[in-house]
Amino acid sequence: MSKPQTIGEMLQEQGVSRRAFLKFTAYLASSMALTPQMAKAMADNLATARRQSVIWLSFQECSGCTESFTRSFSPTLEDLIFNFISLDYNETLMNVSGVAAIEARRKAVEENKGKYILVAEGAIPLDDDGVFSTSAGNTSLAELKELAKDAMAIIAVGSCATFGGIPAALPNPTGAVGIDQIITDKPIINIPGCPPIPEAMTGTIAYILSFGKLPELDHLKRPLIYFGNSIHDRCYRRPFYERGLFAKSFDDEGARKGWCLYEVGCKGPVTYNACATVKWNGGITFPIQSGHGCLGCSEPNFWDKGGFYKPIPAPINTVGKVVAGAAAAGVVAGAVSATIARARKKNAAKNKVKEENQ
Amino acid sequence: MSLPESLTPCTPPLTGMADSVLSEIAERLQVFALSGEETVIDLRSLPMSNADRNDLEVRLGRGEVEIKLYVSGQSDIWETTFAGVWWVRHIDGDGRIAAEEINITSVPDILRAHPDDARAAATRLAGINTKESDDV
Repeated sequence: MSKPQTIGEMLQEQGVSRRAFLKFTAYLASSMALTPQMAKAMADNLATARRQSVIWLSFQECSGCTESFTRSFSPTLEDLIFNFISLDYNETLMNVSGVAAIEARRKAVEENKGKYILVAEGAIPLDDDGVFSTSAGNTSLAELKELAKDAMAIIAVGSCATFGGIPAALPNPTGAVGIDQIITDKPIINIPGCPPIPEAMTGTIAYILSFGKLPELDHLKRPLIYFGNSIHDRCYRRPFYERGLFAKSFDDEGARKGWCLYEVGCKGPVTYNACATVKWNGGITFPIQSGHGCLGCSEPNFWDKGGFYKPIPAPINTVGKVVAGAAAAGVVAGAVSATIARARKKNAAKNKVKEENQ
Repeated sequence: MSLPESLTPCTPPLTGMADSVLSEIAERLQVFALSGEETVIDLRSLPMSNADRNDLEVRLGRGEVEIKLYVSGQSDIWETTFAGVWWVRHIDGDGRIAAEEINITSVPDILRAHPDDARAAATRLAGINTKESDDV
């Protein structure tokens, strides 16, 4: 019998039915806020796609993003995503080490030249020629440049790889920056978060496989499928915000009744991410549901914004950094965040139509 | 020992979202009844609390058909007391809800056998028949 060529053929050989594909894509479409009708198209496209080679590099980070990635789905659904991708190199997860690991990476690059997705986790220190982060005698800076050269696209995962994150927090002793400050000639997708929502990482890869193209991105290169709405926009506590019902402290009557956490520092109105819908730990909960405000970890410089428990309109110490674009508008008026989010989606749709007409 | 009230996790309250979704279902069911146009509503992407979803489930009720699907974890599918309105709940390997939809259709898509699966099954069955003939 010939070797299976497509993901569908491969999984059929293992006795995985198309119903499993549909269940998986129903979950993915929901996490991406795509219309549920797209689930069927995604299932059909995934079945005819080939496995995607992925090379995963770890730089200046805590490995929390890899930890998050491996918990992306429930045990049974997780099996599926690992059939869709070929994780050819990941220092934290792979069995081999040393010379054998480097050889495996070289082989993967050679066999998938121009086709592999490079996943970058962690910031890159630039001070003193990048000597603050090295692996096998090479600086992270050199490794990134070498492997980015032949990649189809780069996915920067986590707040460190996207915006510098904790390593870049003041006083930024190593001169850490995000990936897109270094690589400028490749398509880059930023999936920020500390850690990022696991489904946003695997879902973005599944999206590329399903539709054969990169997803639409916002001004910070974040996929709109996961970062198109603010946390506040999709928060189940939002009706309380609209009615002016706020918790004033973490143990008052409002907190016990589940009212809006805006006044105890929730950054939901200025934070774009899918936590309120996809949630965490298998969809059980997310910080706001557990009674704590959003920290805004998927926005640039979240660590240096002057305090997690200060309400947004209060003066915040951005230390010379400017809160960008739509987020800045949200600081001024959280109440209009829904309108902004809708406008973002509309603009993205308009741009798409423009691109298609060109 | 029980936790003090201030430390117990918040129970998401009723927000009124179930009313809005119910109106949408009613409207889409009218459309389906008149034109056959199907609709899927993704309950997990809406800002509904668990209490809202429970409220909606109770108000739609359970009708004549209930189906269990065992694929990548269990899925529970039932027709509500309103013909053509199906509740589809996909559960993962840990027993948690992975996806939840309202399907307004005659039969939810996931229940139909895909032609590729039918082709693979036909090949498998033919193989069994051939083997049995050879054995005889």
